[in-house]
Parts: sequence; C-alpha cells; structure tokens
Amino acid sequence: MSDCTYNKVTQEIVDKLKDIVSAKYVVYDDPEKLEPYSHDEIVEKSYAKMPEVVIKPRTAEEISHVMKLANIERIPITPRGAGSGLSGGAVPLYGGILLSVERMNEILEIDKENLMAVVEPGVVTNDINEKVKEYGLFFAGYPMSVESCFIGGNVAENAGGGRAVKYGVTGRYILGLEVVTPEGDIINLGGKRVKDVVGYDFIKLMVGSEGTLGIFTKIIIKLLPLPTEKIDLLVLFKDVETAVQMVPKIIGNGKIIPTSMEFIDRFSMQTAYKYLNEPYPHEEAGAMLLIEIDGNSKTQLEEEYETIGEFCLENDAIDVLVADNYTTQERVWKVRRNIPEALTAYSSSKSSEDIVVPLSNIPKILPELKVIADKYNVLIPCFGHAGDGNIHSTIIKKPEMEIEEWKVTLEEVRSEVYKKVVELGGTISGEHGIGHKRKKYLDMVLEPVTVELMKRVKLAFDPNNILNPGKIFDL
Amino acid sequence: MKIIVPIKQVPETSNVSMDPETGTMIRDGVESIINPLDLYAIEEAVNLKEEHGGEILVISMGPAKAEMAIREAISMGCDDGILLSNKEFAGSDTLATSYALSQAIKKFNPYDLIICGERATDGDTGQVGPGIAAWLDIPFTTYVSNIKEVNENSMIVQRMVETGYEILEIETPCLLTVIKEINYPRLPSMRGKLLAKKKEIKTWGPDDIGAKKDYLGLEGSPTRVVKISKPKVSRGGEILMPKNESELDKAVDGLIEYLQKKEII
Repeated sequence: MSDCTYNKVTQEIVDKLKDIVSAKYVVYDDPEKLEPYSHDEIVEKSYAKMPEVVIKPRTAEEISHVMKLANIERIPITPRGAGSGLSGGAVPLYGGILLSVERMNEILEIDKENLMAVVEPGVVTNDINEKVKEYGLFFAGYPMSVESCFIGGNVAENAGGGRAVKYGVTGRYILGLEVVTPEGDIINLGGKRVKDVVGYDFIKLMVGSEGTLGIFTKIIIKLLPLPTEKIDLLVLFKDVETAVQMVPKIIGNGKIIPTSMEFIDRFSMQTAYKYLNEPYPHEEAGAMLLIEIDGNSKTQLEEEYETIGEFCLENDAIDVLVADNYTTQERVWKVRRNIPEALTAYSSSKSSEDIVVPLSNIPKILPELKVIADKYNVLIPCFGHAGDGNIHSTIIKKPEMEIEEWKVTLEEVRSEVYKKVVELGGTISGEHGIGHKRKKYLDMVLEPVTVELMKRVKLAFDPNNILNPGKIFDL
Repeated sequence: MKIIVPIKQVPETSNVSMDPETGTMIRDGVESIINPLDLYAIEEAVNLKEEHGGEILVISMGPAKAEMAIREAISMGCDDGILLSNKEFAGSDTLATSYALSQAIKKFNPYDLIICGERATDGDTGQVGPGIAAWLDIPFTTYVSNIKEVNENSMIVQRMVETGYEILEIETPCLLTVIKEINYPRLPSMRGKLLAKKKEIKTWGPDDIGAKKDYLGLEGSPTRVVKISKPKVSRGGEILMPKNESELDKAVDGLIEYLQKKEII
C-alpha cells in the first residue's frame, strides 16, 4: 500500500479498548490529558501530532488484542516509552491509537549467574542501574537522558550516549526480546544466550527499528561488573581545531580507551553556565574535552589520567582539570547534561542534529560546520560524544533572522551539513534516529535498493502498515 | 599575605542513605571529600594570593585519611598543609576542635588572615570558625560575600545579613567565614595534583601544638548528643480541582472556607 488512509477512532473502538485494559487506562476526548502524548523532546511544534486515543496496557496479551483490533479496524498504533526521543519516533503522525508502555515498569529478574536482567519496556533506565548496583553490576548501554528515558525506547532507538566510546550502544547489551508483532502475535527472540546463530538475527533487526516492527514487552539485557573508580578530566584548548585534533590522537594512541570523550565548544559551554546561573570559569578556552576513564584500581586510573593529561598538554592543551570525586564530577557533568536545555532556552528556533563521522574525520567536519554557519548566518554550536564520532551540532536561529526566512534557511543548512557529513564517510543520525524528522534525507545516505528492501521488510512484518506509520520512510 | 585555611573532610552526602532505626548515616562505602563550603574559602585564599602574592597554609583535624583533603586543597593552589591527627583529638566538639586548630595556627604567627567555610555539611554548626577567632582573640566576621579591599592593616568586606548586606572594615589579622556567593571554586588542575602528590604533609599531635590535653577530645567537649530524633512532617492538604466552569465557584468557596478554618483569612 502506498497511501496512508486510516479509519478514525470511534466511540465503539474506544469501548473495545476499554474492554481490553479497563476504562481508567484509556484516555479519550480529553485534549489536556492527550497533549503530553503528542510530542517528544523536539521543541518545534510542527513535529507534534495529537493522538485520538491513548491506551496504557499492562501485559503482552493486552497489547496483542489491541494490535489485532487495530488491524481489523485499520487504525494506526504508535508505541511510546518516556517520550524523551529526539526524532519524533513516538509521535502519532496519523493520530489513531497511542500505546504507552508506562505501566509495564517492572524489573522482572536479576540473574546474577548469567549476568543478565529481564525487564519490562517501561522501566526507567536509571532504575535498572540503581537496582543492579547492589550486586556490583551495571547496564552499560544507557543514553544521556538516563534519568527519564525508558529501556523500551532505548532498544527501539538503539540509544547511544556518552559511554559508547568504551562500552558501545544499547544494542550490544540486548540478548533477548519478547515482541508483539504488528499483526498481534507474541514472539520470543534470542534468550539468555551469549552465542546464538540460529536463523536471521531478528534481535539486531528489532533494535533500532524505531517502533515500526514490533512492540517490546520483555527485554533481556546483559550486565557488566560495575567499575569501582572513575576520574574525569576537563581539558581546555584555545580553539576548536586544537581540541578536536586530540580526539583521534587519544583513541589512536591505543593505550587507553576512555569511557567517554565529550567535545564541547565555547558557545555551548558558556550558554550552559549561564543557564545554570554560574559564572563561566574558562574564559581562556575556545573548546574543551571532557574525558572520563573508569576501572577498579585508583592507582592505575591515576597513571592513566596522567598519561592522557600529559599527552594533551604536549598537544597544546591550555590546562587539564581533574574531577576525581562525586562532587566535582557532578559539577562538570551537570554542565554537559544541561547544554541541550540551555540551547533551547537560548533559542527555541533550533534543530538538534546528531551527525556521526568516522573518528579520524572529526577534525575535518567541525571547520566545515563553521563555514556553513557563517554562510547562512546561523549559529551551529557543537557538543557531543566526539570520542565515538557523534557530534550534536545544533542549528540555531540568530535573534535577528525572521521566522519565515529561518524555515527556508534551516532546510538549506541541514542539507548542506548532511552533504558534508556524507562526503566524510558519515551519516545523518548516530543515536537519535530518523523518526519523521529526518526521513526525507534518507536517500542521501542509503542506496535505493537498500531502502526498497527495508520497505519490504516492514511490509513482511506489518502488511497493513498499522504500526508507527510514517517513520523512517513512507511506504 | 599569609593566609590560613582550616578545612574539614566530610562524607559525600549527595548519595547517602540514613539508617531508619538509629537516625544516623550509613557510612559504608561513602566517599570522603573536602567540606563543599570550605572550597569557597580555599578559592578565596587562592584568589587573594594570585592578586597580592603570599602563601596559603591549609590545616585540618581528622583521621589519617583527611590528608587527602589537604592534598586536594594544595592541588587547587594552596602551598602547604598540616594535619592534626591523634587519638587525643577524637570525639572533639566544636569547642575542642576550635581550640586545637587555634593552637596549631599560633605556630604560624604572624599571619594576616584566616578564611573558613560557612559551616561543615555534616555537623552544620558554623561554630568552629568563630571559635578559632575567639581562642586566638582576633576580630572575625561571618557570612562574607565579597572582600572589597585589602589594606596594610585592615580589610573592607561585605557580609550578607537577613535584611541585605553590611559593609565593614575589619582589622587584620582577622578571621572570615565566607559564603557561596563569594566565588566559584576552581577544579584542581593536573599540574596541581602532581605537585600535591609529592608534597609532604606533616601530621601533628597535641604535643606538637602545646595543647592542654583536658581541653581536647571528649574530655574537652561539653557538648553531648543526648538523643537523635527525626522531625515529623505533617502536610495536610486539600486539592480542589474544578472540572468545568460550573464547578469553579464551588472550588473558590471551598478555598475560602479552608483558609478561614486555618485562620489565614
């Protein structure tokens, strides 16, 4: 099917939904209560869309019934975790039913012998770590929004985050899934097995499928022993070029793989300090790297940070500041975590980009962004997980630009940024996903045949295009 | 300028849990850090040194591991540190602690200035700073938010009071306790850390500072913890939520009635 014509949600359908989950878990005809489900963390209102009805099931069986009903009635379903996404993945583009997993929030099992846990999709990711900490374990695949996001959303988006340099992204830690398919079947993929090569790797297919291929109802995650020590370095450089040239050098040095290596430019840092109402203490710095290392021996970590620190100083760092306890670490990370919100406070006319390039090309992409920013008279402050090649360049409207001009300019800037990224072997999203925000740019980075195969995969799972239509690509 | 900064090592309390039965803190696995409010005293001392030259001595009383706090202060820019650590000091309250610290400070006469944090985040008394000044018989002032002028024999400081700010001139040598508003403490630099690592930190006992033993420890401490109790939180509230316009008047009436009942209006 090429068109997306769906039926409207009628009172009769609402009654059927109420039969499935009980009336109090169905929200209908109450705009105030529906509104929070109409958007994710993207600030621009144009990406939002109101659901016709919100349903909050508790079990896979309930979801299965809802899916089957939606197929019969031809009503789209959009699954939703915490709504902390940044590509519109959880936005009900065609209205219909919004299915929130917020009530499915139990940690079902912590399996110490296998170093695994079984969780439901609505568990706040941070809660998993709080819980398994007691056993000296941790879940390494978590993103920056760890305190609000749900694990189900992390899996759907294959979330990344600050620690991907050393630990990789969410997908690396997903060993099993219970999934309700778009036609309402409940299937089990993978399991508590470290090795498994039977058939196609559907787990890999499901992870990062942005809620288009199934709704996860149980997730088996791999846990790691929790490192007992960590040290953060805030390394100041005179300018962006000097800072970013350091990124591949540190990784390429091969001696130490940091847990994370964040790049922050002066504008991002200053805006965050201002937002936090604190004086900006690094006047002399044009850019900085926030480098974290972790391990189990304080002595060894001290040697490691001295190695990295000396290496930075040899390569023209102005100063290396050290945070080796919770208080000082929280001080530096608080600033980093608040950058996105600070930039939003600075200007709500902005687009958070999520570009990623091979690490060795990080020093090449940043000057290109500067050229584009100057050419179009916009701001593009940059920050992000430089250590894994992922930079959150944020395109921001200058106050004097008219909003109509901005709309046109933004499209041009985005296209030009993406073009440069592709030239440098990169792609348009590292961890936020395509959603509906970036789908029109998909053909810049994927071959037509690949996109066609993806569409066929989608239709194989979801012949009626019921589940999260309009995301990644249009059928 | 010769500046002395007394600091305290405290447990990192952001992530601490309380034992519900005893009402005390569960200290297992809790990091020890410089009392966060002492960081402002250290920063102010380093700023003054950067502007006027001189040297900064950090002094702390506590167990052997409090040496780490002194090294951290040195890595922020202080020059030297002394640790008062001995079983005779154990159990000291604010009176005995300020006595011991003042005895140690006497060894460094002449000095120009003593800067303390506002209070420690564990004991929360704010008494040790003024206590030191009293034992040394030097002028002091608390809640300083800005050092406006440093003169030959005096300084002009601004302090925060309930109704605003006071500006006063104080003779040196003197003691100031400073508040958060005064500055933004720096992070220690790696160069500072390396320097601090190599530094020898002297540990002194009562004999080294000529302290009277009956002024120290439990014996020198009139303060007794008699009982620890948790304050009861009683928040009785009513939520009046009008669902539509017709219920609005009813809700307003309800609010008025509630406020009258509480004798607020």
